Amino acid sequence: MTTLTRQDLNFGQVVADVLCEFLEVAVHLILYVREVYPVGIFQKRKKYNVPVQMSCHPELNQYIQDTLHCVKPLLEKFCPGWAITVSPAAVLGPGWEPAILSSQPGPLSPKNDVEKVVVVILDKEHRPVEKFVFEITQPPLLSISSDSLLSHVEQLLRAFILKISVCDAVLDHNPPGCTFTVLVHTREAATRNMEKIQVIKDFPWILADEQDVHMHDPRLIPLKTMTSDILKMQLYVEERAHKSS
Amino acid sequence: MADQLYLENIDEFVTDQNKIVTYKWLSYTLGVHVNQAKQMLYDYVERKRKENSGAQLHVTYLVSGSFIQNGHSCHKVAVVREDKLEAVKSKLAVTASIHVYSIQKAMLKDSGPLFNTDYDILKSNLQNCSKFSAIQCAAAVPRVPAESSSSRKFEQSNLQASNETPANNELTTNGHGPPPSKQVSQQPKGIMGMFASKAATKTQDTNKETKTEAKEVTNASSAGSKAPGKGNMMSNFFGKAAMNKLKVNLDSEQPVKEEKIVEQPPVSVTEPKLATPADLKKSSKKAEPVKMQQKEKKCNRGKRIELSDDETKETGNVKKKRRRIKLPQSDSSEDEVIPDSPGTYEAESPSPPPPISPPSDPVPKTEPEPSSVKNSSGENKRKRKRVLKSKTFVDIEGCIAQIQIVSSKLPSVWSWGFSSAAQHLPGKHEALSSSPVPKKPKQQQRKGTKCIIYVGIIFMM
Repeated sequence: MTTLTRQDLNFGQVVADVLCEFLEVAVHLILYVREVYPVGIFQKRKKYNVPVQMSCHPELNQYIQDTLHCVKPLLEKFCPGWAITVSPAAVLGPGWEPAILSSQPGPLSPKNDVEKVVVVILDKEHRPVEKFVFEITQPPLLSISSDSLLSHVEQLLRAFILKISVCDAVLDHNPPGCTFTVLVHTREAATRNMEKIQVIKDFPWILADEQDVHMHDPRLIPLKTMTSDILKMQLYVEERAHKSS
Repeated sequence: MADQLYLENIDEFVTDQNKIVTYKWLSYTLGVHVNQAKQMLYDYVERKRKENSGAQLHVTYLVSGSFIQNGHSCHKVAVVREDKLEAVKSKLAVTASIHVYSIQKAMLKDSGPLFNTDYDILKSNLQNCSKFSAIQCAAAVPRVPAESSSSRKFEQSNLQASNETPANNELTTNGHGPPPSKQVSQQPKGIMGMFASKAATKTQDTNKETKTEAKEVTNASSAGSKAPGKGNMMSNFFGKAAMNKLKVNLDSEQPVKEEKIVEQPPVSVTEPKLATPADLKKSSKKAEPVKMQQKEKKCNRGKRIELSDDETKETGNVKKKRRRIKLPQSDSSEDEVIPDSPGTYEAESPSPPPPISPPSDPVPKTEPEPSSVKNSSGENKRKRKRVLKSKTFVDIEGCIAQIQIVSSKLPSVWSWGFSSAAQHLPGKHEALSSSPVPKKPKQQQRKGTKCIIYVGIIFMM
């Protein structure tokens, strides 16, 4: 394991920025496509040179931003470790999940503080019906020197956006009254680093519940994978077999 | 048989890969004309519907026709979902054409994914984007290179004018409004309009550069064509100074690129302040006219500087002026012409160390000169004396000491004008010498200009 140099830090920041931007767009698009919120609160915006849907609701936007802001420091580091799952202690209110506490030992994180970021859609009984899992790993060859790097990454992220837009075809309809939350699979040591930012932002994270993490009888639907010089990411959906039950 | 293969391809794209298959995307992917792609999509939809295999298919159509809005007749082109097709058709006065736009498994909530689908495939086929297109114009022929430069400016001004027009004109004037090129530029508003105009000008530049390249045979021309492109990119990063440097290099290396050089701003050789010998003389020459303007007696001085640059001897009449020149240069506030006696010369000796630092460079030599011009004559005299007697000069290694000695003839190394003055003050010559080196200039007083100059250069290097 090489020591972190100044170049590594900049590399990590670049990757974290790119990822957080993408995850924000992806979360908004998932909420739009899966009709978690009414279509009326969304407006067309432009990202990666293509039109995407973004919510206008200020509190929802702030929630998503705060969530990803806390995740960002974890994305800046590339270290081995084991994973636990945390979720943000969201503001209690219609459509948003309360704080969840749990710890879940996981497999060794492949040189990344963040193993995966999961957008979980829960039904009225707070049971997950769908989980959009973004698995993030370090690419086989870390490099930031290519001239066309960012345009290539942009192209790959565009493909992710497109796949999320058409995921309706492979997923069943969700029951009405669904809510969502964001889970981050990370290391225990990393959570201590997160605490600083949580205090600053007044946006506490908590360990996720077992019931919110595990899904009964899940069905795996892969959506998209990408490998680039700075990032290796996979998106798949875990769907509960019987959503309405 | 071929049709069957195509249908299987479409089936694989839509059903297995869950792609959005637009006619444009299919045309590029299979390498067929767009009209054939439309026909293939229609055929696929018809067969699938007939089979009623239960495969979920959503189709979008492109409808165009005449549309009457607010009493005005316009041509409307719309991409509509299948469930809204009949409603839109009924609103059109005359339906000009209907064809399948795309087929996908998922029901699209908005048109964003359609654009996303075509974006990457078009981007990768930008060079031959009209290869399979049905849009043709007999009058559209490649431009002659001679017209390209003049037309580029004309188009840029047109783009700027078109961006200012209100966007509302698009809806009501479609078909009666300005040409499509301007309509495209009108569509983006605000910030996106800025990006559109920038992209348009950049593409025009690159297109015209490629055309000029085709007509130039030499390798230098091809390299030169890259240079303006690079210059455009680099100017965004490094600013004007770097651009000027680039252009200086281009001009010196490739004099052939007249067209491109003309389009770029004129190169100013004196602007970049590079510490090179070539630039040194140019900057010194630049400093000369400044001196000339600021002081009355500088006319001789300017000549002196030129003479010193050329390493020629100076006449005795210049004695006193040369003395004055010494001090300001050493103090970096030099460049006065004051005919004073040696008494005033001493009074200026305590001039402090600051003059030492500029002497370390040949460039600052000439630069301080204009600044010194601004000082009063009396102050210059005193400074000169200080400089001559300053220990700091002595502290510096032999070169400086030597210079001091010679500075009776050459008050400081860094003033070319001092060389002749030094020759006329043999008294100072002995008093200041403390190193073995000074003896040499004694013997070479009249040649001291050359020796001193060389020494100075060596020291600075």
